[in-house]
Amino acid sequence: MKRTYLHPLPLRIWHWIQAGIVIILIGTGIYLRMHGIAALRPHDPVLLWHTRTGLAMVVSTIFWFAYTVWSGNLRRHYGLGRRDLRGMFAQAGYYLVTIFTGAENPFRATADDKYNPLQKIAYDAVMFVFLPVLGVTGLLFLDIPAVRRYLLAQNLVGLVGAVHVFFSYMVVLFLIVHLYMTTLGDTVFSHTKAMILGYEETDHGAEEET
Amino acid sequence: MGADHVPNETVRAENADSPFNPLCTRRQVLIWGGVSIAGLSALSPALVQAAVRPLVIMENAEGVVVADPVVCVGCGRCELACTEFNDGRAAPSLARIKVDRNLNFGSRGAMAWREGHGNLGDGLIVQDLCKQCPHPVPCANMCPEHAIVVSPVHKARAIDPEKCTGCGICLRACPWEMISYDPDSRKATKCDLCRGKPKCVEACPAGSLRYVSWRDLTGTTPPRNPTTAVLPPQRALNCVECHLPGQWANLGQASAMMRQAFGGGRSASSGGIGFSWIDMAGAVLVPLAAAGALLHAVLRKVRKR
Repeated sequence: MKRTYLHPLPLRIWHWIQAGIVIILIGTGIYLRMHGIAALRPHDPVLLWHTRTGLAMVVSTIFWFAYTVWSGNLRRHYGLGRRDLRGMFAQAGYYLVTIFTGAENPFRATADDKYNPLQKIAYDAVMFVFLPVLGVTGLLFLDIPAVRRYLLAQNLVGLVGAVHVFFSYMVVLFLIVHLYMTTLGDTVFSHTKAMILGYEETDHGAEEET
Repeated sequence: MGADHVPNETVRAENADSPFNPLCTRRQVLIWGGVSIAGLSALSPALVQAAVRPLVIMENAEGVVVADPVVCVGCGRCELACTEFNDGRAAPSLARIKVDRNLNFGSRGAMAWREGHGNLGDGLIVQDLCKQCPHPVPCANMCPEHAIVVSPVHKARAIDPEKCTGCGICLRACPWEMISYDPDSRKATKCDLCRGKPKCVEACPAGSLRYVSWRDLTGTTPPRNPTTAVLPPQRALNCVECHLPGQWANLGQASAMMRQAFGGGRSASSGGIGFSWIDMAGAVLVPLAAAGALLHAVLRKVRKR
């Protein structure tokens, strides 16, 4: 039994807050999308909650950026190097083929190197593309008079809405894969437990890694 | 003109002793084919634009008359001033400000007058005024003749008497019942802010009316008499450019198309809204990801045994 400290407390708190926010946003977002924004009143409570939660999401994401830059995690965990490029194929091979034969995961998370190459790509996409784009397009729709006039004049409303909806589908896609991947640890809930308690417990590999 | 103006490939093709003697080379076919495809696709928005498009008012009005019911004495001079200026006669029933119909019956106005009681109690005086609605302007949206236009003065929503046929649809479209029908001219009338100087404001002896710059209060004050949002299909087609269609509508559309394809039921309504490529992406990718995860889990379970 080996315990690795993976997730510091601020990140754990942030992660679960973000999880709640994302679930509320997806729920309200699906409602808004199913009914169509044209059929809703401007004071529809679901619309208001989507807006408020979206603003909370912006704040929470800005906190994550600040924390990640300040703690040095940005370079440590999110930079893609030459090594990741090589490890990517081994990782993909593991998930697609060798996992079924009971092989070891070629990647072991440590405090200094938390994410495998595929995880890095996925998290980079979510944190540096999906969420910023969703945040910016969402903020454009806050009905600020000048922005509203500009969007109407340039005929950009449809485009901005389309981008927002497309990237929200991408986030849903990420969420499905993310939730499934959390069950691929040593036990079904070992990754989830690590995100709550901070320590990842592993049964094997303790001897060779020490 | 000499042979040096002709591209080499063409010369070669013409001089070749081939039984086909093609008019142009394969490369030229590809180049011109590509150019015409690119040109046509660049032109298609212009072609769509050229088709007759129903008028959709996007600009907000710049002014609106607001009323303070507390100081109103119900004298009705505003109604007289209004019809005197706009219709050349004193006809309060035609006035674009409605005081008489609400007199002593509270804010439910004409509705309460039919029943004989106001819902905020009797004995109140409430003026009704055109709100100069923002987009979507209900009366303008429903007008089949596109006769309700933005007036150049203070962007008031005004009726163009040249186009108005007096069908009366706008009377039913306005949630505030602010449009009147003039039986003499057989046209609808509504407040057009008297070319920027509302006569009702000038006539009010109690100082109850003010002409102020328009401000969007949508969402802060719920509408009194909300109507269901019904749009003519041609206009709805225009709205899709800005408002992405709802998925219920999309699903209905898709199922109607399916029913039609399999030879049953009514046909899909023309000019409706279809799936957009984004929803296609979502509708394909999201179930695919879920199915992939499920398959992965099942395979793991099976191989473990």
